[in-house]
Amino acid sequence: MRRSLALAAVAALLAAPATAHAAPEDVANAVAREVMSPYCPGVTLHDCPSSSAQEMRVEIAEWARDGMTKDEIVARLEGEFGPSIRAVPSGGGGLFAWLLPAAALLAGVAAAFVLARRWARRRPDAAAVAAPASPEAAARLNAELDRLRAES
Amino acid sequence: MRSLAGLGHPSLIAALAFAVIALVACALGARRGRADLALAGTRALYATAGFTALAALALLNALVLHDFSVEYVVNYSSESLAGGYLVAALWGGMEGSLLFWTLLLTVFSAVAVRGARRAGSRLAGWAGAVLAGIAVFFLLLLVAPADPFTTLSAIPPDGNGLNPLLQSPGMVVHPPLLYTGFVGFSIPFAFAIAALLAGRSDDSWFRSTRRWTLFAWSALSVGIVLGGAWAYTELGWGGYWAWDPVENASFMPWLTATAFLHSVVIQEKRRMFKVWNVSLIVLTYVLAVFGTFLTRSGILSSIHTFTEGPIGKWFLPFLALMLVGGLGVVAWRLDSLRGENRFDSLLSRESAFLANNVLFLAAAFAVLWGTIYPIVAELVSGTRLSVGPPFFNSVFVPIGLALILLTGIGPLISWRRMSRGAFARVVRVPLAAGAATAIALWVAGVDSTGALLAVALCAFTAVAIAAEFARGSRIYRTRAGLPWHSALVRAVSRNRRRYGGYVVHLGVVLIVIGFAGSSGKVERQAVVPQGGSMPVGDYELVFEELDSSTTDEKDVFQATIGVFRGGERVAALYPQRNLHRAQNQPQSEVAIRSTPVEDLYVVVTEFDSSGDAVIRAFVNPLTWWIWAGAAVMLAGMVVLLSGGSPRPAREARLAGVPEPAVATR
Repeated sequence: MRRSLALAAVAALLAAPATAHAAPEDVANAVAREVMSPYCPGVTLHDCPSSSAQEMRVEIAEWARDGMTKDEIVARLEGEFGPSIRAVPSGGGGLFAWLLPAAALLAGVAAAFVLARRWARRRPDAAAVAAPASPEAAARLNAELDRLRAES
Repeated sequence: MRSLAGLGHPSLIAALAFAVIALVACALGARRGRADLALAGTRALYATAGFTALAALALLNALVLHDFSVEYVVNYSSESLAGGYLVAALWGGMEGSLLFWTLLLTVFSAVAVRGARRAGSRLAGWAGAVLAGIAVFFLLLLVAPADPFTTLSAIPPDGNGLNPLLQSPGMVVHPPLLYTGFVGFSIPFAFAIAALLAGRSDDSWFRSTRRWTLFAWSALSVGIVLGGAWAYTELGWGGYWAWDPVENASFMPWLTATAFLHSVVIQEKRRMFKVWNVSLIVLTYVLAVFGTFLTRSGILSSIHTFTEGPIGKWFLPFLALMLVGGLGVVAWRLDSLRGENRFDSLLSRESAFLANNVLFLAAAFAVLWGTIYPIVAELVSGTRLSVGPPFFNSVFVPIGLALILLTGIGPLISWRRMSRGAFARVVRVPLAAGAATAIALWVAGVDSTGALLAVALCAFTAVAIAAEFARGSRIYRTRAGLPWHSALVRAVSRNRRRYGGYVVHLGVVLIVIGFAGSSGKVERQAVVPQGGSMPVGDYELVFEELDSSTTDEKDVFQATIGVFRGGERVAALYPQRNLHRAQNQPQSEVAIRSTPVEDLYVVVTEFDSSGDAVIRAFVNPLTWWIWAGAAVMLAGMVVLLSGGSPRPAREARLAGVPEPAVATR
């Protein structure tokens, strides 16, 4: 559930600027940011400085003025240039692209949490020597630590 | 005109010979404890640097004298190329950039090993051997497949010139800074490996290379920012970061190096994370070399194809050796690298640093995965796919926001343990500042969730950092009776590492504010006849005039764009569309009106036959803050680099080691 919410939040962050306005030019700009340029290696159509890319952006703006939606335009471009035109792969290949970094992050967070907890628990010697005798003593100790911290 | 280029190739062969001697002598000297061999190896390292410098000077001389008998000079310069760009041509092509890389490597190696020997470090021998081994690889490339001194039998009257995109002041300093960063990491890498080979599990390796690490990280940071500034002012798409594979290649080692700079503090303070730290520096160096491999192999499509060549395949075995060899040595010495302390509590600064490291590593992995995914997908499915900015942005935004939150929490939380009540007390004010900022922006009409969250977290972090400065100033004001500003200066100058770090963090906060502004970006494009106009945001742009002129290099076509706001002419901008004759390459020169509130960014992408201008115009809110933040970061780096080693007594106390009995008042 939390993961779904997090993904929805991320999607909202990304989608907000692109879909807030429905003007054809904004649709065209959103498309240009989501497809790679066939003319400049490694950059989106939006970022490509070549004049061919400029012409393609103009053509996409025309399609948007004709009423095509963002998804329709991207699908049309995919039909023309193949799946590599999408800046984010779709389908199974796309899912795999997303899953691994997410899995790595979750695994890293989980491993760090488990390790830190285990390390924090494994202090029998320290606990035996340093554990305050009472809650009052613990409160005094914490106050003293805070004071020292403030001065350091 | 003939030059000293004839000296170049023999110098490289001599440098290679001395690098091999340095490798053998340093390794044998360290292994057998023979001071004479170690000294001979160090001197061979100096000779390697000297001969590499001679080769670089020979190439520079050939460029300056326009010696078109040298193929490299023909490919990357021309008679009309201006002076500063002749120097930039040294790293403008693949062979020259490798020579420049090797020059930095050998000079840094000589300086670092000399410094270590003078300081009596026992690691100098093994470190010299590792660094000489790396130099052997790069010099082998230079004498065989990437020789910058290849000559032509038929000498052309002029050269092809430097790529017009590289003819920018930023491009004169951006590549050298990136290379300085990449190469600089070879020093802590070599000393880390040296410590493992020598069986030293203490922290002498990173204490003796702390300044090198900071220096390399600072150079890489500034280089990356300058690359962004170059893209912003030269490429004409209104942005500064495109997640291009080569940009990613510079960003990955930056991420792991930043993780290292944080986690090494835990080793200093608490003598923990020893395996983690050596692994991180190995990873950082391997990623730096991987970046060079990406740039030069052509394996991935990138707009940065200036230095692409056929030597990519040579890098793969070298990369494998660095990674497997580096991590292999770590595994070999694993037993001696056990931490000397444990976590006292989950609510501690150690935990914050650990979380910071997990996030930086996850970010580095995400960037690596997104960068190589097209190759992986093609290998697995046979289908070519692309991974572009939408992927990287969506992965990076949540990680980046979490990192900003940790940047604020870090200074507030105590080492070893902190009670929940105390933590709640110290986060109260920054939290209120963050919430108030978000509400104020929302009321003011900012509706992007991402921007609101980012700026709120920036406010939280800025207030947390400001509180640390206030606390430091208060202590010196109380103890020494100084006025607050003198007390602040005293606090900073006595604790440069701590406050330098805070200043760097403050710079990062400003940069993130700039990033957040991009959510309010407005972009318009139109074909505008002379005398016509187009709207963008609150502005009306009037194409008032078209002027043409000619220089030695190019035909210049300059538009005068009147900028009107509320009916009033507030500025004039002069974007250009030029034709570089040597390359027959058109190029746009961007015009920007920059203020702390927003940039008005205008580029003419084309003049058609009737003189109408195709204009792209952007209103980029808060972009100014990115460059301001970078300047603040740079100031913090200077403070950090001027700081000394941590105070041993305090470190020992934090690490749980008894302090020596010294009589104190």
